[in-house]
Amino acid sequence: MASVKLTDVKKIYDNNVTAVHDFNLEIADKEFVVFVGPSGCGKSTTLRMIAGLEDISAGTVEIDGVVVNDLQPKDRDIAMVFQNYALYPHMTVYDNIAFSLRLKKMPEDQVYEKVTSAAEILGITEYLTRKPRALSGGQRQRVAIGRAMVRDSKVFLMDEPLSNLDAKLRNQMRAEIILLRQKLDTTFVYVTHDQTEAMTLGDRIVIMRDGIIEQVGTPTEVFEKPRNLFVAEFIGAPKMNLISTRLEKGADGSFHVTPFGAHIKVDGEKGQELKHAGAKPQEIVLGVRPEHIVLSNANNAAAIPCTLEVNEMMGSELHLHVYTEDGTRLIVRVPTINLTLQERSELVYGKKLYITFEGKVMHFFDKESGVNLIYN
Amino acid sequence: MSEKILLEQNASPIQKRHMGLKATRALSNTAIYALLIAISIIWLVPFVCILLQSFRVESTWQVGYVIPQKWGFDNYVNLFQTDFPRWYTNTFIAALVTAVLQTVIVLCMSYTLSRFRFKMRKPLMQFMLILGMFPGMLTMIILYRVLKDLGMTQANAVPGLILVYIASSGMGYYVSKGFFDTIPKSLDEAARVDGATRFQVLKKIILPLSKPIVIYTILTAFMGPWGDYVFAQYISFGTSSGMNVAVGLYRWLNKDQIANCYTMFCAGGVLVAIPVTVLFMCLQKYYVEGVTGGAVKG
Amino acid sequence: MTKYSDLEYLKLSKGEKLLYKITQFFCAIPRKILGLFVALWNLIKKTGSAIGREAKDIIFTFIHGDWKTKISFFVMGFGNLARGQILRGLLFLFFQIIFIGYMILAGGYWLSMLPSLGKVGPVEEYDYIFDAYVTTYNDNSFKILLYGVLTIFFVIAFIYTWRVNVRQNKLAEQILKSGKKLKSGKDDLRSMVDDHFHTTLLALPMTGILIFTVLPIVFMILVAFTNYDGAHDGYYSNLFTWVGLDNFNTMLNWSVSTSGGSQSYAATFGEILSWTLMWAFFATFTNYFLGMFVAMAINKKGIRLKKLWRTVLVMTIAIPQFISLLYVSKMFAKNGIINGFLMNMGWITEALPFWEDPTWARITVILTNVWIGIPYLMLITTGILMNIPADLYESARIDGANPWQQYTKITLPYMLFVTGPYLLTSFTGNMNNFNVIYLLTGGAPTNSAASSAAGSVGYTDLLITWLFKITQGAESQYYLASVVGILVFVVVALISLVVYNVLPSIKNEEDFQ
Repeated sequence: MASVKLTDVKKIYDNNVTAVHDFNLEIADKEFVVFVGPSGCGKSTTLRMIAGLEDISAGTVEIDGVVVNDLQPKDRDIAMVFQNYALYPHMTVYDNIAFSLRLKKMPEDQVYEKVTSAAEILGITEYLTRKPRALSGGQRQRVAIGRAMVRDSKVFLMDEPLSNLDAKLRNQMRAEIILLRQKLDTTFVYVTHDQTEAMTLGDRIVIMRDGIIEQVGTPTEVFEKPRNLFVAEFIGAPKMNLISTRLEKGADGSFHVTPFGAHIKVDGEKGQELKHAGAKPQEIVLGVRPEHIVLSNANNAAAIPCTLEVNEMMGSELHLHVYTEDGTRLIVRVPTINLTLQERSELVYGKKLYITFEGKVMHFFDKESGVNLIYN
Repeated sequence: MSEKILLEQNASPIQKRHMGLKATRALSNTAIYALLIAISIIWLVPFVCILLQSFRVESTWQVGYVIPQKWGFDNYVNLFQTDFPRWYTNTFIAALVTAVLQTVIVLCMSYTLSRFRFKMRKPLMQFMLILGMFPGMLTMIILYRVLKDLGMTQANAVPGLILVYIASSGMGYYVSKGFFDTIPKSLDEAARVDGATRFQVLKKIILPLSKPIVIYTILTAFMGPWGDYVFAQYISFGTSSGMNVAVGLYRWLNKDQIANCYTMFCAGGVLVAIPVTVLFMCLQKYYVEGVTGGAVKG
Repeated sequence: MTKYSDLEYLKLSKGEKLLYKITQFFCAIPRKILGLFVALWNLIKKTGSAIGREAKDIIFTFIHGDWKTKISFFVMGFGNLARGQILRGLLFLFFQIIFIGYMILAGGYWLSMLPSLGKVGPVEEYDYIFDAYVTTYNDNSFKILLYGVLTIFFVIAFIYTWRVNVRQNKLAEQILKSGKKLKSGKDDLRSMVDDHFHTTLLALPMTGILIFTVLPIVFMILVAFTNYDGAHDGYYSNLFTWVGLDNFNTMLNWSVSTSGGSQSYAATFGEILSWTLMWAFFATFTNYFLGMFVAMAINKKGIRLKKLWRTVLVMTIAIPQFISLLYVSKMFAKNGIINGFLMNMGWITEALPFWEDPTWARITVILTNVWIGIPYLMLITTGILMNIPADLYESARIDGANPWQQYTKITLPYMLFVTGPYLLTSFTGNMNNFNVIYLLTGGAPTNSAASSAAGSVGYTDLLITWLFKITQGAESQYYLASVVGILVFVVVALISLVVYNVLPSIKNEEDFQ
């Protein structure tokens, strides 16, 4: 159980490609931090630098206040779960889990104690004498976690542990990791490319792109106040709708936008925040999440006319892909329960619709830099 | 009614075609069997001939027939009145020691080049690629003289020979490196995080997983010296007690000896071939694995 | 030369496409050669700047270093000892003492003699006591050259070690300044099985390669510029000395030498080289295609006893080649079993000239090589054939391809792609295939026109067997052998370079994966 601190950490490969730029982050004791981003963003590299599997080109990594740059992985007191599990194929499940304990020269009866209790927690007791190849994906995953668990290490590192599982199993294991976390009560660093995993698991999320941290924050923060367009698009599914438009200031000092000719007032907290940040009228990219768009009718001044292209029935909700008169494509997420059967049956290709959204759900990004105006 | 006729008409060409296919397949299979039998005969005949002639006692020189008229163990008995047992021991010791040492060296080299990323890795591999383009025989000229100065030639050829065999064996790392490359690196990493040193990773994770390639390396390292002619010829330099089987038996086929020694050569050949063949048949699986993997990896 | 875009290229007819590809290839050659020179120049530039950087760093370390560092410039390891790294310090110091001792006792002498390769040869003097001519042996050119080269290696190693010594001092100072602890001897020993495990592992193999491959090769390259042979062995008969490029002149000269024969060295070399290339080509590709054919025959669906057929062939690999080759060589001899059998049956009246006629001999050699080589190729190709995804064939069959089309459009491209590098090594390996030629024919039949050349040259001699023959006997023209060796290297390197540049498996590694 320990804090982890990364100061100006940099990774430059031999071919002069910089995988991670000046990475600064403090992870508190017992915190669960998730690194998330598209592939090649440097999240795994950073994790591997914490583990000691990659050299650190510049900067320092501290675990529990000790600089570990020059320490071998085995001396860092960490545990790690790998994407492809990395189970030793020639050892039984029991030997796999016991491997690190035996390297520590722990007496066999204690090893037995620890391995069986970990197996108990993970529900793999009946497989202890099997070889990894005789296990299913989910079981292998549990063994890998078990192997990391018995070490009682300061930091628990997980490198995309769920990405080799099928969707159903992934949801189940995700819930189990949350439970596990409560049992282990240690510091977690978790890498994933899946924003859902990041949102559900993390105390804090670190969103990365091209080796740079785009935003660090709690799931709520990154969802409700994305720092820039990249974060806004990355977090949330389906993706946030982006509309090029202008931010205007009315005579009374309040803001409004005019997407596709509609006139929408910015009110509530958003208006306050904009005022606070000292926003001025300017070209912006307007962001609206699909679930915040509602169906409307022609009488509304804030209504935007558009045409339905695809209607995806997801069960509890409908994803409507529509395009406006100037060809911009938007996605609208409508709860199925809000529509009658008759209304739903009319939502077919080519159907003319009116949509609208409220001022309080909008996000405003600078057209040039892509930065959220409230962070200006 | 008409529908039924139509169906039959439709069906018959397909059926015909089906029978045609079957017939062609049977025909081509017969041809292939004939070919395979012919191949087997061609490949085995010389060895059968050697075996038969080693038991022939009516003449010690080549004859125009295969089946001996008189059978006997004379050739084998005679072998033991020559230097053959000495050659045999020389070869066996050289091959055994080489097999052990060369395997260690090759595994060190290939494991390192497969698993470690150090600054000199690429230049080292390129350097060895270039070195390999020089004919190896060229180095024998000087090695022979150096070994002679050290007293490791002629009658004492075996230690010299072993030295020559294992000295550059580090360059033959390709096949086993190819094998090591197929073991996921995350296994090493997991073990290192689990608290293993690099040495423990090799001992506890990689070696247990590398049984096929270890056996392959031992097998090829043994078979090389067992059948080597050129280096042994250089180093024994005409001294009978320092020869290996290849050099010794080769001499029996010289113009002045062949008339007396031809069948003895056959008997010697049989004795040389039997142990490796038995060994090889037992370990065939691993050899095939190594050869196939090696070629694909290049 | 117009360059087509992808879409334009697709519109060309088959012939035009081929033509376009060929012209593209040849147009690319000058650029590639230029690229080679540019790369070479960059390498030189990089080395130059690296040396400059090192020199700057050394001077900088000396000026800014403390007194411990400064003394270390002259007494290696002093800084380590003074800072408590006893093990490292002792090793450095030990190495320096050995080096200085060696240079004083021996190395200096070898280096000083290197330019002349010995001044006083063996002298024959009349000995009054024994009433006989007694030879006293003096300088030894062979040893001078060998130990001279070794000494140069040693000097380079010393300079490198000295540089490491200086750098370590600098690092130690920095570490101490930042308040951290230096590594102890125990740490160093532990790192030998951990983060420096690769150095430990490589130490033994690399020493072997350095002493038994690199040193001899450097030595033999140098021999090509001397007159080292049986009559000048450097000690017993005569000293040998540097002769510049004379030996290359001899080898590559088209004028006929005076001592009998009707062929110049260059012509003989050219003849052997062309046969060597021809042999390598046939030996590689006959084996490759026939081996693949046999593998496919065994693999065919519906063929039974697959394991038996394979085992029969594989067994022949186990039998040492010298037995099978020598035996086959005798089988085809004039009075061998084959001729004997054919004559006994009354099919021929006169022995067939398997080893006596140049053309017969060459064909027999290639055929015997097929016999030797098919089992290997069968094994290799079987493995790869089984790896070709079955759905490729299924989709091809649905697209309407017949078996021959499946072979040419799927099997063959896949095989060539995967085995490209293997084919290259196999080709160069066959160029140097000593065993098959030497044990089968020994180079025979003799080429009488080439009798002026060193060694007795035959029609089936490869460069490598010729090289071997040159070094045999009393004449032993080692200098010529090393010239041949160097030329073999040049040829092999050229072929490899060209092939590497066109091989698809190296250019686009992912195509079939």
